[in-house]
Amino acid sequence: MAAYDIDKSLIAWRRSERKLFLTNGGLSMDEKKPSTSTTSMPPTPTQPTVASPPNPTPPVKNPLISRRRFLQGALAASAILAAASVGASGQILGPQVPTPLPPQVIADWSVLDQKYQDVKDDRTIKGLYNEMNYSQFFYWQYDSSVSPYYKNIIARLPDADAPLVNPLYPTDPILSHVVAFNTTCVHLRCLVNPGYAGDPGSGEFRLQCPCHGSQYRLVDAIPVAGPAFDLGLNPLPQVELSVDSTGKISATGMKGTPGIGRT
Amino acid sequence: MAAPSRKKKGVLDPIIDLLKWTWERLERTLLLALKIVFPSRFISPLGFLGVLTLIVFIILGVTGALLLFHFTPFFGNCPPPVNGTTYVPAATCNQAYNSVQSINNDVSWGQIIRNIHYHASNAMVLLAVMHMFYQYFGGRYKLRYEILWVTGIVLGVVTVIEAYTGYDLIFNIRGQLAINIGQTLTYYSPVIGANLAQIIFGFSFNDLAIRFYAFHVFIIPIIMLAIMAVHLPRNLVLDIPVASAITGVILIMGGLFPVDVGVKYDPNLATQITFPEWYFTSLYAFIRVHGLNPFIAGAIIPAIFVLIFLVAPFFDRGRKIAMIDRPFWIALGVASLGQIAIVTVWGFRAANPFVALTGESQLVIDPTLFAGSLLIATALAYGSVYAFVRWRRAKIDELRAARKPLPYRKVAPYILSKSEVYSLLGGLLVLQGFLDVAVFRALLDNLNNFALLEIGMVLVAFAATVHIYRVTSQAK
Repeated sequence: MAAYDIDKSLIAWRRSERKLFLTNGGLSMDEKKPSTSTTSMPPTPTQPTVASPPNPTPPVKNPLISRRRFLQGALAASAILAAASVGASGQILGPQVPTPLPPQVIADWSVLDQKYQDVKDDRTIKGLYNEMNYSQFFYWQYDSSVSPYYKNIIARLPDADAPLVNPLYPTDPILSHVVAFNTTCVHLRCLVNPGYAGDPGSGEFRLQCPCHGSQYRLVDAIPVAGPAFDLGLNPLPQVELSVDSTGKISATGMKGTPGIGRT
Repeated sequence: MAAPSRKKKGVLDPIIDLLKWTWERLERTLLLALKIVFPSRFISPLGFLGVLTLIVFIILGVTGALLLFHFTPFFGNCPPPVNGTTYVPAATCNQAYNSVQSINNDVSWGQIIRNIHYHASNAMVLLAVMHMFYQYFGGRYKLRYEILWVTGIVLGVVTVIEAYTGYDLIFNIRGQLAINIGQTLTYYSPVIGANLAQIIFGFSFNDLAIRFYAFHVFIIPIIMLAIMAVHLPRNLVLDIPVASAITGVILIMGGLFPVDVGVKYDPNLATQITFPEWYFTSLYAFIRVHGLNPFIAGAIIPAIFVLIFLVAPFFDRGRKIAMIDRPFWIALGVASLGQIAIVTVWGFRAANPFVALTGESQLVIDPTLFAGSLLIATALAYGSVYAFVRWRRAKIDELRAARKPLPYRKVAPYILSKSEVYSLLGGLLVLQGFLDVAVFRALLDNLNNFALLEIGMVLVAFAATVHIYRVTSQAK
């Protein structure tokens, strides 16, 4: 009997020692398997049939986090960090954006105005009401080798019917008579053309998209008809201009993004 | 003195031995894990449309690889006209289009290969859609086929995206329309739209050309192969005559309806009206509907449509797969086919679908008319098919209760007589010989379309020969 008691207490001591070791390390054994340590012990020759005795040590207070949970958490954190480091290399997916062009001379006021004066009195669809007669295209910020979406139009504002003024430069003697817009339609990115779309004499001139028929006012490029108007989309991006003493007009900036519009 | 042989030695014996030797060693590989059945009689090709799609995919891979040698994925530079001069397009403008044009006009066999590539792409989309609907109506998304079904739907969507990147690469006005719409839809997608558009389309058009080239020839095909590895069932039916005939039909279509290069896209010229490819006119019709946001029309609505098919196996939980036992799903399938037909045709037509589209004023579709006709057509198709299936079910139950024979027709196979076999095979061989000579004549005279047509006919004749061979060799 004494041998049995000693053996039993030995097992209990070993277990408590192990528990102490684990709790000292800030961790605790998982409570799900209380009897594994006893059964895995080699049975002593004196008492071969040791039925797993009731745990004599008092139950350990629940630790902050179980060992298994801690290991799982560490593994998950490591996997996320590893994935994040790989994900950061996704930068290579982005395109290389070329350097934008510096401010550039895009038109000559005297030429543009002369074109307008030539057709001013011809109030037909071939003359005044064809805006192509006094406007021209230019690529700016990026040239045509980069993207067709940076195609812009500059037009002499036709003021024969009504006094149209560029809202950006209402007092400038030259720039108040000139507007420039990006031509990428904000509906589905077709390139818009100048096209008279109002009633003759109404003083209304418009840019028109040949794809789905969106129309923009020539004076401020706000959509007035077609899908861009129905969906309440943005006006076309406007090109900011400057003029020098000899009447050369330069593009200096763009308000808005091609295809998205002026927000 | 020759050694006494146990059996008669044939001329083909060494070859057969080599094949046997190879076959036994192939058993150690993954290849023979696939159980490939070569049917010994004619069975309906509807059951193995998937394998036919795979064959067309292989044709696309081969012809695409040949086209790589001559295509330039580069947009170039299109300077605007100088003031006061008439516009002359620069030679540097749209070099991708120029290279496709040279494939079509200058490269020897270029036109033939491009024709096959184009018609095979159409055939692949068509076969994939037919495959899906056949499996759908047959209830083959049940019976633990769910993963095959879901990967199949994904594969179908990826196939259409692959076709999209392909026809954009030509950079004609049709490709440009697709690029514009795709870019806008991506930009308008919430949160990540702008970044995603930059990743897919790049910043410049040269970016776009090289990116779509990478997508079309490498990234998406690799994704397709990966999905295929999951989608491929272990039991495959490889019917040589039907596969050969399908290839022949693609070539014949290429010969009869040669694909052109289209109108060159030049940003300095005014945009013309054009249509997307036929598998996108449905989306185009939605995009043209008055007041419908392009993102909803071009992305959300098709996504919902695909999603309904994707989740079908998880809602159709009954154990029966026969059409007659699934009136709801059959009616839904027919209604969806009707919708596809209506919107696909409408995409090609004016706002009034009975009039051809000629001017931009006819583009915008009235939403009441559009939604109304779709709803009415769907309701009619759904209601009538549902009623018909229920009626048929009731009739069969009635016959069964009365112990009467069910109204199934059984067609007895037609057995060819010996003389018929000889004359048919002889005739086909003579036809093939004649066509082969004609192909070379046509090639010498640079009649590419004629050559393509004749090669297609040779393949169809070959299919017929193999079919007669297998039927007759079984019948005796």
